Amino acid sequence: MLNDPIRPASGARIPVKLHRRVCLVQTEDGVLAEELLARKKLAQDIVGRLTDRVLLIRPGRVEMVIQELHKMGHTPQVFHPTSPQRQQG
Amino acid sequence: MSAIDASYWSELQRHALASYDEALLRQVAARLVKPRNQWPAADLIERSAAAIANPVLIDRRFQDLTPPARRVLALIGHSRQPYWDLGNLVELTLALGHSDGLQPVLELLEAGMLYPGLRHPRSNKTPSSNGVSSSHPSAGPARGKLKSFEQWMAAPGPEGLLVFAPPAIAARALGEDLGLPDLSDSPAASARDTLANAAGWQETDGLEWLLRLAVLWQQVSAAPLRCTQQGEFFKRDFERLGQDALLNAAPADRLADVPDAAFLAIALAEQEGILTDSDGEWRAGPLPTVWEKGLAATLEALWTDLPRLSAWNPLDGWRGFAAQTGNPFPSAYLLAFLLLARLPEDAWVHPETIEQWILTQHPYWANESLRPSRQKPWLETFLLGVAYQLRLVQVMPPPVSPSGTGPDPEGGGWRVRLSPTGRWLLGLTEAPNLETVHTQTLLVQPNLQIIAYRQGLTSSLIARLTQFAAWEGLGAACTLQLQPETVYRALEAGQSFDSIRRTLEQHSTRGVPPAVLDSLRTWSNKRDRITVYSSATLLEFGSAEDLNEALGRGLPAARLSDRLAVAASEEAIEFRHFRLTSTRDYALPPEKCVQVEPDGVTLSVDGARSDLLLETELPRFAELIGNFSTGRRQYRLTPASLSAARAAGMTRTMLEMWFHQRAGQPLPPAARLLMTAGEAEAPHLRHHLVLHVADEEMADGLMQWPQTREWIEERLGPTALVVRQENVPALCEQLRAVGIEVGNEELGPTA
Repeated sequence: MLNDPIRPASGARIPVKLHRRVCLVQTEDGVLAEELLARKKLAQDIVGRLTDRVLLIRPGRVEMVIQELHKMGHTPQVFHPTSPQRQQG
Repeated sequence: MSAIDASYWSELQRHALASYDEALLRQVAARLVKPRNQWPAADLIERSAAAIANPVLIDRRFQDLTPPARRVLALIGHSRQPYWDLGNLVELTLALGHSDGLQPVLELLEAGMLYPGLRHPRSNKTPSSNGVSSSHPSAGPARGKLKSFEQWMAAPGPEGLLVFAPPAIAARALGEDLGLPDLSDSPAASARDTLANAAGWQETDGLEWLLRLAVLWQQVSAAPLRCTQQGEFFKRDFERLGQDALLNAAPADRLADVPDAAFLAIALAEQEGILTDSDGEWRAGPLPTVWEKGLAATLEALWTDLPRLSAWNPLDGWRGFAAQTGNPFPSAYLLAFLLLARLPEDAWVHPETIEQWILTQHPYWANESLRPSRQKPWLETFLLGVAYQLRLVQVMPPPVSPSGTGPDPEGGGWRVRLSPTGRWLLGLTEAPNLETVHTQTLLVQPNLQIIAYRQGLTSSLIARLTQFAAWEGLGAACTLQLQPETVYRALEAGQSFDSIRRTLEQHSTRGVPPAVLDSLRTWSNKRDRITVYSSATLLEFGSAEDLNEALGRGLPAARLSDRLAVAASEEAIEFRHFRLTSTRDYALPPEKCVQVEPDGVTLSVDGARSDLLLETELPRFAELIGNFSTGRRQYRLTPASLSAARAAGMTRTMLEMWFHQRAGQPLPPAARLLMTAGEAEAPHLRHHLVLHVADEEMADGLMQWPQTREWIEERLGPTALVVRQENVPALCEQLRAVGIEVGNEELGPTA
């Protein structure tokens, strides 16, 4: 966690901690996240809940998670590093 | 010639020249660039690579070659396929009447017009419609330097005897007389044809194999094809392909049965990069980008695939991907097309006539010891089943009998000639205009079925339809079905609801039914409910204000919480705005970032090295007790926290592993106590009489002497022994026997 109490001055570099190659699932709402957590096969690959709608996936298990989501009838939007779409800020 | 970037071939040529021994390099460069000075090897490579961009120089060097070598180069030029197996080039040379088939090829290698393909064609695909392979030519394993071409031919390595001629060189050889005969029918027969069947010839739209490749792409997208260690398909997948109704169906204008048609599609798809080999499975790759460039470019790509087909041929059908020797068909295909090119305009020829010439001239079939099974006819199958459907040839139906009741029994079967497309692909004419003028060719029905009238289909429309609708029927009017899965597949491939709607509206003969648009919208929206980031970059800021500031500066990321934002890829992040306090890569093993305090239950987290996984792991078995300004958060193991962990399924082994991974030490005794105390046998409180002896030696003696041992219950320490109350008299008696008098501090004098 970051513990930098000093706010960056305007234009100064913003301190940030970078987490690379993270596998995440973001749901439309918290209820859907609960639904995923309640699924036994998914729960074992979900290592944590970062926020109400964001679940952290065990590294290397993302393909299994996507498969299980498909089995549940979901059609998740998957962002691979080389996906044609890019997330907008 | 191949549309691949010239710089690719230049780079490939450099790679090949760099693998030559210096003496060989100088020998080749001496013929190609004729250096006047003793240039360094690196300069020779650069100048040789630059030479292929100089057509005047190439023409001069071409004229220096012997006629057989010029013909070999011309054959490569006509094929548009820069890569050839050396054996096929030798076969072609022999078929053209030269006694030594190898010498012209050697001459070209020595002249720097032809190069050994020092990479495996399967592991590094030859250029095709999908473009150049991603791996760099020089990325291959280091090999020993090539001292001579004879040495390479004797031990070619796993790549095989593959050679390539840069397209810029081979293209300069077009127009060279190959000495092939004109095999057209007799003038009398031709005149009769002209009168009887002037308007009877046929040519296809060239879409048939394109559509089959599209169907195959969909089949493999749905379920990859698994392979055995020998490279053959699993039996179940083999049967699935062999029985597929669409891939094996006869075309609407079938002229000949193609053996193992589904597997020919597999072989073409492999060449096109539509199928990619991944860990023993054939998976669907991207649809070729060349399909977007139009039918001519697409047919050109398929044309260049023909000389590289080794897994299928018209005589045997499917032969499998395993490397096999003796594949004379690529050279025979090219000879057949070149013989057709020799026909006068409007002349036709029976495939058997061409085949007969090949049987007598081609060294494979001219071999007298060839088995009878190899001598069966195959060219008609190839020309009428494959080449015709690729729009390479036109066909003339068998002439009608004079009575008009059926085919003339003396007229023979179908006859063929090159189509304008075939002539263009052989480099004989300019490119014909193959693009259709009918753009509105789809009929979208409310039941989500699409009817695609073939006359208006284009390669790019086929590519788009293939992504978002499932092909269900191929024919003059093809049918497709819109399904949630296919629309989802298209969205994942980069299409959107709007782009799908635009495609349908642009090409529909009528408006798209509202029910269809509603379904498409529903399916598209459903996809937005869950987003999976398979390898995202998460940015963790110190405060919400920092995150706002970063987003304000254009950080291309989505906010997850007040301090977290996620970017699908970090390529677009401008790092000049940020100071990285630490970086954590989640593809690497967990890092040791926890320090265990001396009490064994307090855990201090090093914030600079910790990760999100840790932040979710710790609360499962420890309680947060503080966040200190030293940058360390502290957690404490408590009976309650560990009890909760046990209830959630955590075991001592899991906790031990966690301590090894995160703290780099075994589970501390205090933590072990808290974790397992509840599982251990309940401890007992009880009274003991303790016999304290003078020293350790005396205690050892009492424990060893059988007369005293039996009355001692256990040894508590070096000089302390436990004795039961009822055994005290007996022990004292034995001790007195050896002269030891026991003093009794608590019980008084012993009896």
